[in-house]
Amino acid sequence: MLTSQLSHPSHPEPLPSPLELANMSRFCAYLFLPACLLALAVIAPAMSDYALEIGFRLLLLITLAEAWNLLAGYGGLVSLGTASFVGIGAYALTGLVNQADVPFFLAIPAAGLAAALLALTVSRAVFRLRGLYFTVGTLALAEALRMFMVNYSGFGGASGLFLSVDPPGLLELFWTALAIFAVTSLAMTVATSSRFSILLRAVRDDEDAAAQIGVRPFRIKLIAFLVASFLMGMAGALQGLKVGAVEPYGMFGIQWTVNVLSIVIIGGQGLRAGPIVGALFVVLLSELLADYPALHLAITGVILIVVIRFAPKGLVGLFQRRPRAAGGVQ
Amino acid sequence: MPNFDVVVSSMASGFLLGGILALIALGLSISLGVMRLVNLAHGELLVCGAYLSYFLLSHAGIDPLVGLLLVGAIMAVIALPFQRLLIAPLAGKGMEAPMMTMFGVSIILQNLLLLAFSADTRAIEAPYAARPLSIGPITVSEIYVIGFVVSVLLVGCVHLLVTRTAFGRELRASSADATAAAVMGVDVKRVHALTFALGSACAAMGGVLIGTAFSFTPGTGATYLLISFAIVVLGGIGNIFGTLMAGIAMGLLQSLGAVVLGDGYRDLVGLVLFLLALALRPQGIAMSGGR
Repeated sequence: MLTSQLSHPSHPEPLPSPLELANMSRFCAYLFLPACLLALAVIAPAMSDYALEIGFRLLLLITLAEAWNLLAGYGGLVSLGTASFVGIGAYALTGLVNQADVPFFLAIPAAGLAAALLALTVSRAVFRLRGLYFTVGTLALAEALRMFMVNYSGFGGASGLFLSVDPPGLLELFWTALAIFAVTSLAMTVATSSRFSILLRAVRDDEDAAAQIGVRPFRIKLIAFLVASFLMGMAGALQGLKVGAVEPYGMFGIQWTVNVLSIVIIGGQGLRAGPIVGALFVVLLSELLADYPALHLAITGVILIVVIRFAPKGLVGLFQRRPRAAGGVQ
Repeated sequence: MPNFDVVVSSMASGFLLGGILALIALGLSISLGVMRLVNLAHGELLVCGAYLSYFLLSHAGIDPLVGLLLVGAIMAVIALPFQRLLIAPLAGKGMEAPMMTMFGVSIILQNLLLLAFSADTRAIEAPYAARPLSIGPITVSEIYVIGFVVSVLLVGCVHLLVTRTAFGRELRASSADATAAAVMGVDVKRVHALTFALGSACAAMGGVLIGTAFSFTPGTGATYLLISFAIVVLGGIGNIFGTLMAGIAMGLLQSLGAVVLGDGYRDLVGLVLFLLALALRPQGIAMSGGR
């Protein structure tokens, strides 16, 4: 009796139906987000250096987190190799600008392509087996690349390379970050609201069943991996441009992997708003603990464990749960 | 190309080091085989063992070899409640949640070690750590020989534990089919807890030997985690003899890499081998009976 009462409340709250929710999110993607980005681009010249700095970092991390979310949240491909694509992007940009005088606006997408090429090269190895081997394989890739860059003298070795031209100013960097974020959002909107997203989630949920009904898992996973690597490579290039120098410990460092992964897990895996909420949280935390980098990472680890245990869908999932449960009642 | 003696000596060192690597990889292998747990904190457990031995030597004067089993036991006892607290509640939630939890543990341990002991490079200063031992043209450090013998003995003990004891029978049953084992009256939770403790003890004892033969910092763990993975992949999960062989092969190949390319490439060779093994020999890692 109790259960029937619970499942049929006498006064159902007027909550948006799933269709309305979908329309709302589409509205956000098509109108709200571009409007916000445009507004940010317009007011950027009036922002303080500190605000630009934080904004730049947020945009960069959100871009990386969106790309990681495409892999892990939608594709079930939990990567621990973010650093390798960030690093390749940064090194590719530095190389292109130093050796061939390629302008920045061309070098950044080219750096993204370099990262995608890396992904293509290793895809055979890391996709050969399911799930967990992808995770460990990408971790091995990141460590191997870092060690190679430290030991091999061709790319500056452990001390790295300097950009031969002056890096652009903070404002231009912020605008570039906005542009890359816009490209990322567009790519994510296409990837998560098209036929591709259904195929990707089918592969994530049951690769064998998906293959049985005619989906080609390898191809689907490869596309997601290439898109994500391209975006990560561009973000890495932008970071390289901002620093004006690349060196293996910073650009191939594990902290990229840790930051991006914790952003998505804390924000909410497989949810569009997850990376944004997670990035705000993580950047806020890192600002509060800016003077204690080791403590900051340790606390991030604790938060990670707590979130995995008690909020598998992250902060966004916590706030979404109630309307969704009620929506199921209707 | 360096002269013959150097090559032979470093290959011998690689062979002996491979035994130690096998011990470390064994810890990872049994967690993976029995609990389906990808223990991403394995490297940090190793480093914890090295620090523990370091301070036992410097504060209590306990020789690392005498304290080896003590370090293993301490780490096993520390690991038990952690398994109950962190891993056990995630049972039945797939493999990703425990794996990411262990990744969190790895970040926490690494940074706590960094806070407590700084990033200074340390080594356990045992008298036999740098003493050379010569047989004909071969010259190796004494610790390599000791480490190899101790590791092979410990791997043998684990083998006997798994194949000859009641606990080993329960462990193998849980590994083959956890549900069926539980139906037959095996306390799978207890087996998992003890397996995790055993894996941690292997890592910590390997850490003592590594910490004596080489130096270590709080960040050393990741490399050994990945090399262990490579060995597990090459040797086959839960295959103790295969792990030993793969460990020795890895040691030899790493030394070969160090001789041909330079010492900095030692660990890189291991990682590249791992990626190649993933690409070329996936059947070695096929996880039958998962989930």
